[in-house]
Amino acid sequence: MKMEEVSMSSLDNSKLEGLAQDILSDLVEDACLGLCFEVHRAVKQGYFFLDDTDQESMRDFEIVDQPGLDVFGQVYNQWKNKECVCPNCSRSIAASRFAPHLEKCLGMGRNSSRIANRRIVTGNNTNNKSESDQEDNDDVNDNDWSYGAEKKAKKRKSDKVCFFNYKKSVVEFPHLYINSVLVYLFVHL
Amino acid sequence: MSKDSQMRAAINQKLIEMGERERLKELLRAKLVECGWKDQLKAHCKDVIREKGLEHVTVEDLVTEVTPKGRALVPDSVKKELLQRIRAFLAQHATL
Repeated sequence: MKMEEVSMSSLDNSKLEGLAQDILSDLVEDACLGLCFEVHRAVKQGYFFLDDTDQESMRDFEIVDQPGLDVFGQVYNQWKNKECVCPNCSRSIAASRFAPHLEKCLGMGRNSSRIANRRIVTGNNTNNKSESDQEDNDDVNDNDWSYGAEKKAKKRKSDKVCFFNYKKSVVEFPHLYINSVLVYLFVHL
Repeated sequence: MSKDSQMRAAINQKLIEMGERERLKELLRAKLVECGWKDQLKAHCKDVIREKGLEHVTVEDLVTEVTPKGRALVPDSVKKELLQRIRAFLAQHATL
């Protein structure tokens, strides 16, 4: 330690500079050596040339730069006018309308509880209906039930007889309606 | 002469002991990767290996071929930054 202090104090600036340069070239040499070891190991293990490909396959995956095409060379708005098939009611809907349709079709969102209630009550009152009738009810639920439900029901009267009958039955046989609500509560709570 | 080499040995010892040498090495490595030095040298290595043959290439071959090029390709900005840190270290420990 003492020796070091003595030698350090005798340093002038040019010597310090030379020393710094030497240290730097030592470090660079170290880095080179490290790279050489790395490459050598890769060669001997056989993974150095793995990322090499021939020119032909490189050309296959070149980035396309043409107007109207994306980087893969595909037309970029080909999905614009696509129709989607609803998994619930199997109708095809324009892609831009699909999300709002699905919300109503699956009974989610704002009106979900009302629609769900109605569906369950309908199911209880008309449990002798066939499969196709229930699909008709899904169609009915596509409408916004927050207003004009009766009007829409009338408009679709011809093929929505079951539902209309149910509405009448609520008016004429309120005890049946209460019954079904009780059943719903019993099943779900 | 012997005083000079003694002094060098002492400084190098100090660099290693303080861990500064490791830190500088890491910094240099990161900078060289960042500026593309490593990729350039790797490409050069590929040429050398193709020339010598995959089976016959040795570490010595690579070192003799790569080191001169490696030295030359270090960008000035990286050199400057490293030198600055080395000088700071020296100044700090020369005044102790």
